[in-house]
Amino acid sequence: MATELEELIEFLSHDSPPIKKAAVNIFRDYTGSEDGLQSLGKYSAVAVPSLCRLLAEKKEVSEPAAEALVNLSQVPDLAAKMVEMGIVKIVMDILYKIDCDIKHLLVMLIVNITQLDAGIESLLQNGDEKMQGLYIMKLVRSFCGSSSERKGDDPFEHVASILVNISQKEAGRKLLLEPKRGLLKQIIRQFDSPSPLRKKGVSGTIRNCCFEAENQLQNLLLVSEFLWPALLLPVAGNKIYSEQDTSKMPPELGNALSIEREAVDDPEICVQALDAIYLLVLQEAGRRAFWSINGPRILQVGYENEENPQVIEAFERVGSLLIQENGVDTDSTQAT
Amino acid sequence: MALLMDPGSEPITNDEIVDLEAIAALKESAAIELKEKGNEYVKKGKKHYSDAIDCYTRAINQKALSDPENSILYSNRAHVNLLLGNYRRSLQDAEEAIKLCSTNVKALYRAVKASLLLNLLDEARSYCEKGLQQSPDNEELKKLAKQIDAKKLEHERREAEVSKAVLAAKDIISALEDRQIKLGKAMYQELTGIKKPVLDNNKILHWPVVLLYAEVMSSDIIEDFCETDMFSTHLDMISLPYACFLVNVSLLNMFSEGSPPLPWDTDNAYSRDALELYYEADSGASFSKKEALNYLLEGTVASHLENSGGEETDAATRTSFSSGNGPKWVKVNERRTLHDILRNSDIIVPGIPVFFIVSKKSSFYRDFKSGNWSPPKIA
Repeated sequence: MATELEELIEFLSHDSPPIKKAAVNIFRDYTGSEDGLQSLGKYSAVAVPSLCRLLAEKKEVSEPAAEALVNLSQVPDLAAKMVEMGIVKIVMDILYKIDCDIKHLLVMLIVNITQLDAGIESLLQNGDEKMQGLYIMKLVRSFCGSSSERKGDDPFEHVASILVNISQKEAGRKLLLEPKRGLLKQIIRQFDSPSPLRKKGVSGTIRNCCFEAENQLQNLLLVSEFLWPALLLPVAGNKIYSEQDTSKMPPELGNALSIEREAVDDPEICVQALDAIYLLVLQEAGRRAFWSINGPRILQVGYENEENPQVIEAFERVGSLLIQENGVDTDSTQAT
Repeated sequence: MALLMDPGSEPITNDEIVDLEAIAALKESAAIELKEKGNEYVKKGKKHYSDAIDCYTRAINQKALSDPENSILYSNRAHVNLLLGNYRRSLQDAEEAIKLCSTNVKALYRAVKASLLLNLLDEARSYCEKGLQQSPDNEELKKLAKQIDAKKLEHERREAEVSKAVLAAKDIISALEDRQIKLGKAMYQELTGIKKPVLDNNKILHWPVVLLYAEVMSSDIIEDFCETDMFSTHLDMISLPYACFLVNVSLLNMFSEGSPPLPWDTDNAYSRDALELYYEADSGASFSKKEALNYLLEGTVASHLENSGGEETDAATRTSFSSGNGPKWVKVNERRTLHDILRNSDIIVPGIPVFFIVSKKSSFYRDFKSGNWSPPKIA
């Protein structure tokens, strides 16, 4: 078995195109199964450089190569080796070539790579002063510039997951929150996308970024115009709010709540939004801002109609924090 | 009879040697005499201090005494210079005295005093320590040591305060940059005094905000308008005689129950629903970073750091209208936050934000909207 594998891997760099094509397809099939991955064992690492070279070639070869790499990158050790070999740069270079036709696969590869700290670091380019954050900016621009209008053709959809991954690290959050780069603003706007993957990714990213509330509240609150709708609309229920309520809200929120709308049906998004609100409300200025947009009233209404137990729990977490932190009663809007 | 010897020439005869010795002895006794004369002058009082100095100087110039003796002369002269307020010269003399005799405690004492008076705290401390080494029980020196410590502490405390003020100002400038808010010359300081924005613990900006009732040019100040607050919140508070909002917002209680809302508003045109808020667009030039820093340091402990001059453009005259026709008024949507409004590219914050209130119901409204009215220049 061993020698066959070695041969197969050698064929990945064969001069003859049909042989190369056959080899990479077989290799990809191997990586598609758990057993296959096991049996590839230590040869996987040897194969990676060859596979990377194939990424730059025609689609008939680059596509299976990319698929194979995506499969391999699900194994943490292999992913780590890939990062060491500089896969982030290789992938980003190819991704942004003019006629790249395997974009979605490359993005998925980066998603897997960023499950590792080393992968995140490599993508953030923190070590390089001049280039720092450049990859992320490119990806965000692609993410926000494209959309899922044409069904099945949203190559940058998975950037949503990349953002969730990198925002799990402080360095990633810092980059996303930098006011001058304006990344957060761009990302939040994607929350309105019909694509559930995009929506969820944005929601998760915002939630993660709110962990910086203690030190960077201003960078969060200063995109309030987009932030509050993204956090509150999912948990506002689907009833139409009264004029009395909406008159106390900024227009982007008040207008959205004055019309009929579909409820967000993914409980995970609701919980993420409530978690994010919790983190913001922990800070004094965050609390103040939340009250000033009539936030507690929205939570009250949303809570009344909520049925999912996890979401109810999340509502109650925020609610009790608000009551606890606010000694002064407001005129009408005490929750629970 | 003085025999002047050329340098390098040597006495040849015994007679010459005797003569030289005689001259040296003369010089010595002259010097000693001059020293005693100087001391007497000092005792005689202020009017004779310069005479004393003169004596000491001549005594020194005899160059006839030993180092320890000359040290005393310098030390005495240092003392008189101190009394005369010539601190620099006193310090020089004291230092010379110390050079000639490092154990001269009086000289060390005078060096400390002079250094202190010149605010050379490190030198003072160094001399003081040397002096206490020589004379550990010296009460005068111990007193001076305490003075030096106190002064150093005060100095350091002041430095810390200044750095803190500068840091705070720089933080605000960087906060303004992040928000793309432009700062310009303050326009209504005679109404407001010197007021500045403040960053809170969460690095959120709080502004003092001026509301001008354009019709009568009377003003109101919102002391603490947090940038995340909506205008409507604050307008609500002005119009109602009691608070219905939350913590940390300063109350504007212009009205007591029952009395008319604004004393000059006899027609009651300025009811809550009739209020409209405007700012003046493109109202001048914005500060450079340095100018902004100077403005923020005004009136603080660090104001001495302000550079005088610099490239200040004349933003005081409000004639730099963009159209040249009259002020350009931009209406403020009161359901926006202060931050939203301030980051518009056509607004330059005149020191602190200024907004003009008019009432839809008042006859003044037409004049205002037509652009025929502009705020009177407050010199």
